[in-house]
Amino acid sequence: MTALATAPRRDRRPRSGLRRGETLAGWVFTLPVLVILGVFLLVPVLMALWVSFSDWSGRGSPFAPGVGFVGLENYAAITTDGGLPTRDFGTSLRNNAWYVLLVVPLQTALSLFLAVLVNRAVLRGRGVFRTAFYFPSVTSSVAITVLWLFLFSATGAVNEILSWVGINGPNWFNDPTGIVHNFLGAFGVTSGPDALTENGFLGVTFWNWLAGPSVAMTALIFMAVFTTSGTFMLLFIAALQNLGGDVEEAAMMDGANAWKRFWKVTLPQLRPTLFTVLTLGLIGCWQVFDQIYTGTQGAPGKTTVTPAYLSYSSAFLGQDWGQGAAIAFILFAIIVFFTIFQRWVLRERPVSRRRARQYEVRPTGRSMR
Amino acid sequence: MRRWRSRTVTWQIALYALLIVLALIYISPFLIQISTSFKTDADAASNPVSLIPQTWSAAAYERLFLRSDFPLWFANSAVVTICVTLGRVFFCSLAGYALARLQFRGRGVIFAGVVAVMAVPAVVLLIPKFLVINQLGMYDSYAGMIVPLLVDAAGVFIMKNFFESIPVSVEEQARIDGAGSFRVFWSVVLPMARPALITIIILSFQGSWNELAHFIVSTQSPELTTLTKGVARLASGQLSQGTQYPLKLAAALIMTIPVAVLFFIFQRRIMNASEGAVKE
Amino acid sequence: MARSTARTIVGIGALATASALVLTGCGSGFSDSGGGEAGSGELTSSDDALTILIGSSGDAETDAVTEAVAAWSAESGIDADVVAASDLSQELSQGFAAGSPPDLFYLAPEALAGYASNGSLTPYGDLLSNKDDFYPSLVSNFTYEDEFYCAPKDFSTLGLIINTRLWEAAGLTDADIPTTWDELASVAQTLTADGVTGLAFGAEYQRVGAFMAQAGGSLVSEDGTEATADSPENLEALTFVKEQLASGTFGYATIDLGAGWGGEAFGKEQAAMVIEGNWITGAMENDFPAVEYIVAELPAGPAGQGTLQFTNCWGMAADSPNQEAALDLVEYLTSTEQVLAFSDAFGPMPPVESAADQWTSDNSELAAFLAAADYAQGVPTNDGIAAVISDFNAALENLKAADPQQILDTVQSNTEAVVG
Repeated sequence: MTALATAPRRDRRPRSGLRRGETLAGWVFTLPVLVILGVFLLVPVLMALWVSFSDWSGRGSPFAPGVGFVGLENYAAITTDGGLPTRDFGTSLRNNAWYVLLVVPLQTALSLFLAVLVNRAVLRGRGVFRTAFYFPSVTSSVAITVLWLFLFSATGAVNEILSWVGINGPNWFNDPTGIVHNFLGAFGVTSGPDALTENGFLGVTFWNWLAGPSVAMTALIFMAVFTTSGTFMLLFIAALQNLGGDVEEAAMMDGANAWKRFWKVTLPQLRPTLFTVLTLGLIGCWQVFDQIYTGTQGAPGKTTVTPAYLSYSSAFLGQDWGQGAAIAFILFAIIVFFTIFQRWVLRERPVSRRRARQYEVRPTGRSMR
Repeated sequence: MRRWRSRTVTWQIALYALLIVLALIYISPFLIQISTSFKTDADAASNPVSLIPQTWSAAAYERLFLRSDFPLWFANSAVVTICVTLGRVFFCSLAGYALARLQFRGRGVIFAGVVAVMAVPAVVLLIPKFLVINQLGMYDSYAGMIVPLLVDAAGVFIMKNFFESIPVSVEEQARIDGAGSFRVFWSVVLPMARPALITIIILSFQGSWNELAHFIVSTQSPELTTLTKGVARLASGQLSQGTQYPLKLAAALIMTIPVAVLFFIFQRRIMNASEGAVKE
Repeated sequence: MARSTARTIVGIGALATASALVLTGCGSGFSDSGGGEAGSGELTSSDDALTILIGSSGDAETDAVTEAVAAWSAESGIDADVVAASDLSQELSQGFAAGSPPDLFYLAPEALAGYASNGSLTPYGDLLSNKDDFYPSLVSNFTYEDEFYCAPKDFSTLGLIINTRLWEAAGLTDADIPTTWDELASVAQTLTADGVTGLAFGAEYQRVGAFMAQAGGSLVSEDGTEATADSPENLEALTFVKEQLASGTFGYATIDLGAGWGGEAFGKEQAAMVIEGNWITGAMENDFPAVEYIVAELPAGPAGQGTLQFTNCWGMAADSPNQEAALDLVEYLTSTEQVLAFSDAFGPMPPVESAADQWTSDNSELAAFLAAADYAQGVPTNDGIAAVISDFNAALENLKAADPQQILDTVQSNTEAVVG
């Protein structure tokens, strides 16, 4: 308890005999948490904010006298200048946007599907399947990426299995072509209309924005779905169990009725959990870093560069600390924006008030978070 | 009635068949990983799917343990994980108790702060963390690796929720006997918090064992390399430039074992814990 | 997530106050950076041990450098510790930012300008006693704003590595070793068979650039002041490579062959020929000792012979407390005897002219690499060019399907932003 000495002394008059000294104790008890969160979360953010407005070149302290304030220059370099940094940032946003667009719905749908299946198994089987689906989620992203690099290598397990059914698999992690472009290419469309190829946003033409995730990124998308569906499945199982009897009863019915009932009754009641899963998924998907650092370092053709990795590489590899910090803050803003947007989209609507009353669920508190 | 029955049975069979197929899909990558780690490089390349190596080879493991820094990485990860876990258990429960039970000015503000901090995405902190660790003179040291991880806002949240669920009456007697807040916390309340503490232990063990980004920005010396950092660099072509899949998969496999063991011991609890504390 | 904005803001404010208090208490780390910005001629001196950070190609290189440094330590009485970086550029930049860089380190020419301009490096080149022994082309690689910053460590050129077994199996003889692009294309076609690609190389400027040099092109003009990426010469080179890639007689080692790098594709006999540098000899000896090969000079293009040259120098940190000892160590490591020992251990060629004859007689089978030094082109060294090259590399990965002119136009505009 050496922290006692540095504790702010703000204790007031004791309110009652039993509550004596609680103000002091309260602050002392929370002090370690406050200090560490403050020093390693809040102060760093403020420091990085300064760096994003400075021309610090990565030598010595960013607060040294020689470091100048350059206003929005770093932000301009990655958004409006149109040079290489802008194009890199645009590319990273493109890559990550496709990643989010595919991973979030897929992982949500798959985890819900798994939850419903597992929930219908008899008790003993439930544990086994739950374990099998959840296990990938506990392994580290580094270990799983290493495994993925092997499974999806040119002569790896996935291509081997595809060859059993006569499919000549791509060279996953070395294929920079976008899957939407590939799809269009199958119909002979290999270049877009001028309106799309001549104009662009953030240094990337609209045609390239629409390229879709590269084949390499697609492999990472599979990986994300594989590793997160187990965690979200647990959330859905918990929610389903909170619904209690309804679902048990549904399980007794035949397929068609159960299907209908699931959409009309169960799903609406899962709304709070759905919100949690979508939000967590969305936040997680904008933070892809470990997989890129371990697996592809942005290759092939920069199609797996994500804003998080770009922020790291601009600062630590490219010496553009200001730009790296600026990217991080824009990423922060994106995450906050989507969280709020999601909340707004999934807000309770008054439409189905009658049904809502009929099947009202107790908010479970935990999953509401 | 009979028709009803047989349809239900059919549905049940279909359900289990589907579940089994899905479970196999989820498990097979790990089985392939185990078998490949015992293959030779050539065997791994030519038979990527087979679960039985043509010739068993422990070369990958020999290389890892006898001729690389792998044992050192393992030791570093272990040291960091243990320190972080102990720290989080203590600090999170202390703060959680204060926020749940003690009446003091500023409590609401502190709680709001903790909640706000939980919303800051970790990946945004890469550069900032490096800057602050560096300025505090903790860069490239165990302190820099451990201290920033010692506290976890989600852990505080879990502990607070748990302490709120314990009836106040259990503390009253101790308080009447004149015990101070810390004593009440330490000898009365904390022993009751075992389930929540196990949750914290699991989450922080898993979190710090699997942490990568923080170790990248807080250290540079080879002596401070952790498993995640070492294996990540191995994957991107260190030790030698070839593909060397058995070696890489063996490294990734060993790195998965401690978490897997923890997972199977506390299976039930992990599943229940993660409902409440998914933060990723 | 945040419950109510107002409460959140108040919370943040409280945390800020708390942490500001803490920072004033222990903000000592701020003060001690920046110092020691010595210009040439005034080196720091102390009893401190030296740390040497190397980006090693493998155990052979690490061992050789460690051994040499240990020998110097024994002689000079100054402790020195060799550390093999796992990610050199990241560890260097973290070291500089942290004010605790290694004393000596491998430094690539494309990184020189960036570190030199922010004052991280000590320009010590003119203080070297063996300064005049280095090849002038290497010295110019490490000269920034008319100052010779650091001593070249060694250098390598690209050559054509040929698998003799596959060569003979295809009915080819010594007389067929290609000397023009046409001959290269035709032998590549002859060698291409089931599971074997005629010629493989990495999908990067650092290999494809050799074709640009043979066509008479470059990314940046020789004096480094003008972007020349969109020249017709470069277009001719990329078009040639693109055609051959499309026909399947050339292949990218990583993308088309699934190997880690050219050397691995060659060692596994997935490719009958590769374009690689001296470093391949070490890898072949260690990983694929059974594969026999010869080294030839790269064929001439429309503008004659051309290849790329790579080098690193021994960078010295401005923040190093013991630069005099570091300088002494560099002189030791670049002595004729020592560079020959390094070359023997892990392949690269000595950076000093005094070692050339000895090297050639020791390594007659590798003579093509040294012969190429006469016409080799260095990679550009402008500040910021590394990002341009990595963008170019990303585009080259897709060369088979892309329009070479479009690629070069992009490179041109990127290059213009960093030159001059």
